[in-house]
Formats: sequence, structure tokens, C-alpha cells
Amino acid sequence: MSNNEHGDQALNEASDLIRGYQRGQISRRDFGKGLLGLGLGVGAASAILAACGGDDSSDVATTLAPDGGGDMGGGIKSGGVLREGYNRDVSSHDPITTNWYDPAYSAIYETLVTDDLDGNTVPMFASAWSVSDDGMEYRFEIPEGRVSHSGGPMGAEQVAGLLQTVMDESFIGGVSTVPMVGYSVEGNTVVMKMKNAWLGALNPHKTGYWALANIDTWQAAGGLDPSSTYGTDSADGTGPFTHTEWVPGSHTLVTKWEDYPGSEAPIISNPGPAYLDQIRWTVITEAGQRATQLETGELDSLIGPGYADLERLRNNPDLFTIQHPEWSGYHLVMNRDYPEFFGDVLTRQGLSHALNREAMVNAILFGNGDPTYGPFPISDRQYEPLVEEFNQFDVELAKSKLAEAGWEAGDDGILVRDGTRFEFEYVVEDESVQKLVAEAVAQQFREVGVVANLRVVDRAVWFEEASGEGRDAAPMSLFFWLWPVPLDILVIFSSSETIPVPNFSHVIDDDIEAAIADWRQAGTPEAAQEASSAFQLAWAENLPYLPLMNQYATFVAHNYVKGWQPFVWNLYPLYNDVWLDK
Amino acid sequence: MSGFRRARKNKQLMAGAAVGAFVVLLGIFGPMIFGDYAAQDLFNGHKPVGTPGHFFGTDALGRDLAARATYGIRISLLVAIAVTALAVVFGTAIGMIAGYVKGTLDGFISFLIDFIWGFPLILVAVLAAASIGSGLLPVILAVAFVNTVAIARVVRGEVLAISEKDFVVAARAGGYSTLRIISRHIAPNVIPVALVLSSYYVAVAIIAEAALSFVGLGAQPPLPSLGQMVSDGRNYMRINVWESTIPGIIIFLMVLSVSLIGDGLRDLLDPRLRTAVERTSAK
Repeated sequence: MSNNEHGDQALNEASDLIRGYQRGQISRRDFGKGLLGLGLGVGAASAILAACGGDDSSDVATTLAPDGGGDMGGGIKSGGVLREGYNRDVSSHDPITTNWYDPAYSAIYETLVTDDLDGNTVPMFASAWSVSDDGMEYRFEIPEGRVSHSGGPMGAEQVAGLLQTVMDESFIGGVSTVPMVGYSVEGNTVVMKMKNAWLGALNPHKTGYWALANIDTWQAAGGLDPSSTYGTDSADGTGPFTHTEWVPGSHTLVTKWEDYPGSEAPIISNPGPAYLDQIRWTVITEAGQRATQLETGELDSLIGPGYADLERLRNNPDLFTIQHPEWSGYHLVMNRDYPEFFGDVLTRQGLSHALNREAMVNAILFGNGDPTYGPFPISDRQYEPLVEEFNQFDVELAKSKLAEAGWEAGDDGILVRDGTRFEFEYVVEDESVQKLVAEAVAQQFREVGVVANLRVVDRAVWFEEASGEGRDAAPMSLFFWLWPVPLDILVIFSSSETIPVPNFSHVIDDDIEAAIADWRQAGTPEAAQEASSAFQLAWAENLPYLPLMNQYATFVAHNYVKGWQPFVWNLYPLYNDVWLDK
Repeated sequence: MSGFRRARKNKQLMAGAAVGAFVVLLGIFGPMIFGDYAAQDLFNGHKPVGTPGHFFGTDALGRDLAARATYGIRISLLVAIAVTALAVVFGTAIGMIAGYVKGTLDGFISFLIDFIWGFPLILVAVLAAASIGSGLLPVILAVAFVNTVAIARVVRGEVLAISEKDFVVAARAGGYSTLRIISRHIAPNVIPVALVLSSYYVAVAIIAEAALSFVGLGAQPPLPSLGQMVSDGRNYMRINVWESTIPGIIIFLMVLSVSLIGDGLRDLLDPRLRTAVERTSAK
């Protein structure tokens, strides 16, 4: 082969690597390795990495505007119904009582602030925001004359009322806002007072749990009363679409709000009401069905195709695919109220070393994800790479840790300690990926003499089984979390304040508690990173849960879907810019 | 013509027996030949049929499909046998009591039979799973419950007809006890009917177990059930069609064999059909 041919080949390989990285198909780490493998020096590789949208502190693959799909182009057409497939069942549209929020939240509601494409905080419903020099007070300017879908006023009074209710009453809100004092109103300004400066104060406000519902309507519909019809029969937000139908197991339908005045968010181009007439999200929990319905034209766009179908969808010239890291993870709950199994750290570490996470990512996600050795996805801005010193797959180490913990093989090869056989019930939600993860884990445990008896149940039963007090909760369960800022949600899962739910492991760990306290006091990026690193390392070593893996967020649409731009900092697309070119 | 010769001449019966024997042998020896159904190789998932070391290929977790499918046959057969045994024993007993005793008891049992008969099997299975948890036991109980009612219904009708026959009237006039009349005179005439009927309900049990496992109410993973394998494999139809198709073909063969055996037995045991068949054969 001539030098020129060598050069061409290297160039082609480098181009493929860059394309793959920019599309989020390979991680930053693998991208860097690949560049070095092509014979590039560290300096050159770093320069290419930086040019491709990353820096040393971030492992986030850049999400590109799709070919022919994301750009607005000329001649925007109004009208039509966007038919979007959704990989989960739909949750109630009540942000205060829900324990999950769906893409419809991005259509019905706005939040005070949001993230732009680079992850910077920008206004959304608020026209502006500011923070005092000492970090003790945040001020959000509420535009005058705004109303919600019902026509009710949506001024500072209503916004502050809603946010205070979320803080006081919401399932998740209260524990996410510990450093906050509360909200008050000064003219058109909502003022948020802090107990201490906290760098993470705005994060929760960008999520669906803080979506701006009209508090007057919410209260009139029943508020916290279990018989309330808010979120099921009606919803009253300020987003570009109104709640129309909500049918669990089937679909959600929203309709264009003709009076929408446009968003304050600079990431939204459309200055007025939505282009689409309606959006219908169809619940398709069968992975294989989702891709098929997109290909046959029953759907225009799709959230979460089955990974087995991804390569085929990528090769379809009529479709475009967007993939980027997802702020989510699969974790194993180990209920500490079964101390005979999970009470000692050596046993938990032994179990963790028995798991080949790389192999699970390969088999179950077709490589569309990363193994996690600590609590965070590796792409998170605060990711602490030192967690990778823990929990690596090593069966011999697993066996020796378990032996050190006092477990000995019984006659049938199953471990026994103090007369207790290492066999327990393991509850998993009846969802295709979670079932596979659970089966893969159970079999790997079996290799080291531990029997995890799987019980597959539906989502509601899973929650019930996982959320009991003490030993009423299952010994082990598998759960999947999704939240834009991993630390915020993982604090909730491991804080002693949240036992039994959502601290499903019922864990009280001094190191983790200390890290959480530091995080809530963190007023500077350095302090936040220090607390975050301590949290991750304590988690990776003490294992309140067993981290398993993290999948990539994947979105696919027909090329005629324009302005549909899911991006890494938002869980779901924003819909006001979307239009159909057909 | 002896019973054995008549059976050998019955093509449906023989074909059904041959297919059934093949499937049963697969169920018995397959797991011994193909190894541990739960052993996984996470870097070798979705291998096609004919992959060295994996006769039927592998599933998503790299588990051997042949080992899983043949073990699945065991599960299907276990459920079918357990369900049918329960249904025949209880269905025949209930049907005989209702048909012979008549009166208020018959009215009550008939009402219950009609009432239960109106419930879809899947609903009964869901109720069973909700009360005692998912797994094979609720599947066996739910399918046996519905099949018991079905058999009891037919047996009751048979007994109603037989109990008016001269030999039963004579036995009654002779002062024999109800138990003796049922056991000596009615049961021998009804049990063949129940047995022929049971072959149909074996097929029903196999399909029901597969259907319930398909929707997640049957065997719990990693225990392989054929219905569950069909369900798991359908997400990968476009990359490895065999993951669903192989267990599907096995379910088809099992049901086919049982149906053929049932039809053959019916021809063999029904005197009217037997005569017709023999006349045709003689020609």
C-alpha cells in the first residue's frame, strides 16, 4: 500500500470516527482512543476532540441538526398532526403528583427557565432571571398579562403559588429543594430565597416536576385529593398546546393553543402559536413495533426505538436519527432491611464484581450505551472517572470478596452464611429491556453461587413491591431512572430523608450523607464538583445500589418532520418549532 | 379386528403419535443434549440457526435456543398433563354427580358451570395470578379450572342420557346404591368420552399456557416457556427470525399431534365411526 493509500485510509477512518462521535454513536473516550489508534499524537487528538464540540470536562457528544430534518428551511407550513411513538406508558399531566413526566409536558407546559443547546440556563416562561452576588436570592421576572390555557391569569402570584406547592407537596419537589427557603412575590417578580448559596438551585426548575401549571385550576380540580381530575381529564399550562386526551396504555393528544403568545426561550424560533394543529403520542411498549410503525408511515417520529432496529433505521434514507447521551441509568436496589444479604459492603462489592457491564451493554443495548461503575452516566459534566477503579468485572475477585464476607458454598454450590442461603426474590418491571437486564444479572449472580429469583410484574406492582417499609419491600429490584441532572435525582434515591421511597435501598450511609450535605452547600463550581466527586466515589465504593449501565437517548423521524430537534440537555423535544413538510 | 390393529390402521392417530413422540423425545432428551438453558454468552447473542455449538442459534443473551426450546417443551407438557389430569378427574366427577343426582344439586352445579363458562380464560388466569402470584401454578390452576367446567358440562349431558338407559334403570330397581350405580354402570360408559375430550383439552392447555406466558403470566424467567420465547423473540424478528419461529413451530407441532391423536381416538372409540372406517378399509 502506498503512503497516499495509507493516508487516505487514515483520513477515512478519522472521518468515520468524527461522524460517529458527533452523532453520539461513540463515546468521547472511545473517540479519543480511536484517534490515538490512528497514530495521532495526544495534542492532535485533543485538538480534534475540542473542535468536535467537547472539552476536557465534558463527555457529551454533540447532537447535530439532522440532515434535512432539523433545519427550518424556507416556506414553513402550518397544520397537520404530528404522530409520535413513545416507548412508555403515559403518566398523568399533573406535575405536582406525578412520579414521571412525558413528552407531552414539553407541549402543554413551560418552565421558568430551561437549557439552551449548550446547556446554559436561559429564560423560558420568565422573561429574565438573576441571582444575587451572595447566591442567596434568585429573581424571576414574569411577563405581564400572561394567561394559562383556561384564560386564568398566570402572573407572579400564580407562579410563586405553584412553585411553593411543588416544594411543599410534590413527591419529588420537597427533597430536591432542601437548601431553599421558599418563594415570594414582589410586583411581577418571583423571588426565591435560599438557606445557603447552592449552585444547583435552578436545576429542578427546568424539569417537568416544576412545570408551570395554573395553581388555581389545579386546586379547583381537587389539588392533592386522590379524586382530583387534574392531569387526567384536564391540564392548564402555558405551553403552545392544550391537553385534549389522555388515555393510559393508548395515547395522549394535545391541540394547538391559538392564543399562545410565543416563548421567551431563545432556543425556540417560532415567535407565535405552534405550526402543528395537534400532536398525538402513541404508547408502543413493544420495542419491535415502534420501528415498524415508523417505517410503514403510521408514525412521523419516534422516541426510543428498539436497539435491534437502530441500524436499519439509520440506513433508511427517508428517516433521520438523533442520538445523544441520556441522563438515566439502570440500578439494582438492595434492600438494607435484609441485612443477612446486603448488610455488609464486602458482599455488595462481591456481587458488583460478578457483573460484566460491558457485555450487558453489548448484548442488550447493542452497544448504544455505557457501563456505569458509579452512579452517573459517564457523559455527565460532573462525572468522576475515578469511580472506574471500583466494580470492574472480575469473577475471581467477586468470589474472594464473598468468601471474605463469610459466604461459603453449600452442597449445591449456592452460598450459605450463618445458616442463611444466599437466595432472594428479585422484582423487575415487565418491560423488554429491563427484563433482559434482570435476567442477565441473575445469571451472573448464579455463576458466583447467588440465586436471585426473578418475579416480573407490571409497573404499578413494581412500585408497590419496591416501595414498602422495611422488609415489606422486595429484597432486590431493578429500576430505571431518567432525570436531566443525575446528581439531583440520585441524592433523592440515597438520602436518609427519603426512606422508604424513593430511597428504595433504605440506605443510610454516612459518607453519602456527608457528600449530599456538601452538595447542598456548594456555592461554586469547584465546591459542587468536589461534593459531586465525593458522592460518586462513596456510592461506587459503598454501593447503596449496584450501578449497571446507561443507555443513549435515541430519536428517529421522517425527513419531512422539520424543526424537531431533541437535544442532550432536554429529555424531550420542544414542539413549538415543529412543522410537517408534506 | 383387534384394538391395536385398528389403531395402526388409523392414519391420523399414527401421524399424531409419531409427531407427538418426536416432540416428547425432544423434550426428554433435548436439555441433556443441548445443555443448560440458562447459560448465557453476552457477546454471542442473536446467532442464526446452524451456528456451530448452537443448533437453533442463540437469543438476545446468547443463550442456546435449542436448550431453551426443548426445556420449554417440558414446561408445556408438564402444564398440559397437570391441567388435563385435574380437569378430567374433577370435571368427570362433577359432571357425573350433577347428571345423575339431578334436582336442585344439578340446577346449582349447572348454574355454576354456565356462570364460569362465561368467563374468558385469560381473565381467570389474571385473577389467579393476582391472588397467588404469577408463575406456573396459577396458570395450571386457572386453565384446569376452566377445563374442568368444560368437561363437567359434556359429562353431565352424557350421564343424563345414560341414566335413562335400561341397564341403569334395572340397577336402580335392583336397589343398588347410587355410588355403586355411578361407579359400576355410569362411569365405564362416560370415562372414554372424557378421555377423548381430554385430548382436545390437552391442546387447549398447551395453547393457553403459551398464550399466558406470551403475556407474562406464565413461567417466570429464566425458566423458558415456549410462549414467552415467542414473545421475547418478536422484538428481534428483523435480525433473527428464528428466535420466535422455532418455539412457534414447536407449539404448532405439539398442538397438531394432540389434535390428530384426539381425532384418531374419537374414530377408534366411536362404534359408529369405527364401523364406517372398517367398511371403508374392507373395500
